[in-house]
Amino acid sequence: MKSLAVLAALVAATTAQAAQDTAGLVRFVACPVYRDTDAGRKSGCWLTDDRATGKRWDVTESPYKPDWNFAVLVEGKPSAHAAQPCGAPALDPVRTSRLDIPCTRHMIPAEGFPGRRYTLPRRNIGPLSVARAVPPGPYAERTFPVYFEFDKDFLVYQYDDWLIDNAVTWIRAARPRKLVVTGYAATQAQMVSGVKLAERPDAARERAETIAETMRRLVPDIPVETKWKTAAKPTDEPEADGLPWQSQRRAEIRAVF
Amino acid sequence: MGKRPMHSLPQRSFALPLAVAVLALSVGARGGDVPDRWWAPGEGRVLPAILDYDNENGTLRTLTVGGPLNTAGHPFFEPLVKDGRACVTCHQPADAMSLSAASARRQWDRTGGKDPLFAAYDGSNCPTLPQDQRASHSLLLDRGLIRIQRPWPTKSFNGKPVKPDFTIEVVRDPNGCNSGPNYGPKAGKISVYRRPRPVANMKYLLAVGFPFDPKQGYALPLDPDDGKPQSGNLMADNRAGNLRLQMEDAATTHLQMLKALSEDERKQLQDFELRVFTAMQMTKAGGAVDSGGAKAGPARLRDSEPGALGSIGEPVWSEFKGWENIPAEDAAKLTPQQLAFRQSVARGARVFREKMFLISDTAGINSRIGFGNPVRNSCVFCHNMSQMGNDVAPGQVDLGTTTLPFADPWDDLPLFKVTCTGRPHPHYGKVIYTYDPGFALTSGKCADVGKITLQSMRGLSARAPYFSNGLARDLRGVVDYYERRYSIGYTEQEKQDLVNLMSAL
Ligand code: HEC
Ligand code: HEC
Repeated sequence: MKSLAVLAALVAATTAQAAQDTAGLVRFVACPVYRDTDAGRKSGCWLTDDRATGKRWDVTESPYKPDWNFAVLVEGKPSAHAAQPCGAPALDPVRTSRLDIPCTRHMIPAEGFPGRRYTLPRRNIGPLSVARAVPPGPYAERTFPVYFEFDKDFLVYQYDDWLIDNAVTWIRAARPRKLVVTGYAATQAQMVSGVKLAERPDAARERAETIAETMRRLVPDIPVETKWKTAAKPTDEPEADGLPWQSQRRAEIRAVF
Repeated sequence: MGKRPMHSLPQRSFALPLAVAVLALSVGARGGDVPDRWWAPGEGRVLPAILDYDNENGTLRTLTVGGPLNTAGHPFFEPLVKDGRACVTCHQPADAMSLSAASARRQWDRTGGKDPLFAAYDGSNCPTLPQDQRASHSLLLDRGLIRIQRPWPTKSFNGKPVKPDFTIEVVRDPNGCNSGPNYGPKAGKISVYRRPRPVANMKYLLAVGFPFDPKQGYALPLDPDDGKPQSGNLMADNRAGNLRLQMEDAATTHLQMLKALSEDERKQLQDFELRVFTAMQMTKAGGAVDSGGAKAGPARLRDSEPGALGSIGEPVWSEFKGWENIPAEDAAKLTPQQLAFRQSVARGARVFREKMFLISDTAGINSRIGFGNPVRNSCVFCHNMSQMGNDVAPGQVDLGTTTLPFADPWDDLPLFKVTCTGRPHPHYGKVIYTYDPGFALTSGKCADVGKITLQSMRGLSARAPYFSNGLARDLRGVVDYYERRYSIGYTEQEKQDLVNLMSAL
């Protein structure tokens, strides 16, 4: 049990500075449970239990959902809605990052819970055949953030594609001289549910390069530079949904004139 | 069955001598003096604007926009090397511009195995085998498979070397083409065996719906020729990003051309590939697929905008909506068998879209894109393009058709052991056993092992067997594979409805 004290000290030290931002938020590591509800396509439920509090949360609304073979890092805010279509109070906004910790696959039946009928998320892009509205000028230096799963550089479907589509629409209209893509990684270790979590420093570079490559494909005539920074600090950008940890795991596309 | 009058096709300028055009009108595939259904290279036949071929489920119709086309001297039909094959050897009009195993067997029997289709290079299990024996061509004859030789280490679609994040060893080499001094990874080559993909309805396979490849997590790669985003829907392993790269690959491998295709040949090939549309026109059991309120068939394919996502536009296979509730007065004109078949096809379309099941451990869907593992959805989740049933996004998905434990046991295919040197595969872990690494042979990523680009679903009746390695002998075999793979729980009726639907596409 000696590790418990160390652990507690660590938690105290690392959470102190972010305390104000994280008030009312939950963050824990858990093995996901799939509840096999059926309200049509994509209507299954994801549940996770916070070992520290003994509470079960519905984390289905995450833009990147769990894999039943691996633990997830859950980060979220208790939902304003009281409805429990999955049989547990919901976190919303919420994120579930897949960790490399194996889990025993567990599926439970619907047990009468309806799940959620799929609706297209707010952050979805139209097909290329639909013209994007040209954002009005004047145009000046501007930064567009995109966000990632814990320790990953993968462009999140119906999240990052939407952020980038909006950024590119503006960039095509504004015609900056160049783009500087800076990748960030939250490399400072934190203890979560007894698991020491820190993003790899390389994640910062990977994020910069992944997004830079995507920008080169979308606006091939504008030069793209990359930078990366570790020990990322939270921001209060709205598309991180008020989740400080999500805001740390980002890349920024800066349009320079 | 009436042929559509020629003038109903879009009139495009197509330099053909008038005499040829007139001739084509009188020589239909089902006229009195019918040429054989097999198109041999260099015959100089005229490809009519409308060409029908029967198969066991009905009639397949192939439309050549701006046709007829005099194939004499045309690089798709003419052998480009002496006594050689042509593209048409493996892309036959009667087989929905693919090649059925039945046609391969028929050619073997008709020619005593002498047809250029059976060329040692890729029309046999391996060139090192005695070529006059049937057993040396068993993969082509039994499952319609052509040998595909890929470089090792991997090269991407633009020929750039990619450093793979996996190693590959040969566990089993029943055909000798993955070992010995000249073959196999140690010799810089990997042989896999694949079905020819249909060269028709290409505008759909080239259509770009959205700017991203959500399965790879990047914006779409750009075409090296025109700088536009690539659809990513060509070839099982997507090694060719556009038709030029594809035809160059085909010419140097299947045709064993030593010199490059000329610019003129490339133009003719591309022009032709974009003009051909094929689909079932007539079902034996239910009549024409564009009658009684149904709107399927090749003409509509030819005339529609490609690349639409069924979930936000015209639902996939809603062509058959008109057969859902057939009015009594129309039903009275049909035989009970016709009526039942039409209703079954219409139900099949709904089963395809609406019968949900848990899709699990399927890379490209359950990873890395964030749908979750598992995710509840239906056939249409992956087969989502209106009218074609391929994937609007680049369709590299690991259904398990080529990879253990999901693939069926085949002792005549090579088995590779892939070891991931970086991150393990999200579902298989560090070590993967596969008959065909698929897209990983192009991307160099272990996370892509087993991914095969979704084909289109048109003209299926004309081109059994199915899946890239011919795993499913017939359409029922396709449904049975999905049932095994995902424990769907289809009823016998639902299975038959799906089979009937697919037979009418
Ligand atoms: C020996 C048989 C053979 C010959 C000859 C042949 N092909 Fe193919 N073709 C194939 C096979 C097999 C595939 C699928 C390869 C794969 O997926 O890796 C294919 C795929 C294609 C595709 C991709 C279609 C799709 O949906 O992905 C096109 C286009 C094509 N061939 C055109 C041609 C052209 C043009 C020629 C002549 C220059 C030609 N082929 C000659 C066997 C052949
Ligand atoms: C998870 C994605 C996914 C789902 C769901 C899915 N498919 Fe497929 N389908 C694929 C992929 C990938 C291929 C290509 C695999 C191969 O060739 O080895 C394919 C190939 C096929 C083919 C073969 C086409 C050919 O030219 O050989 C048919 C037919 C087909 N699917 C029918 C269905 C039916 C029916 C369902 C529902 C029971 C279904 N699919 C559900 C991904 C999917």
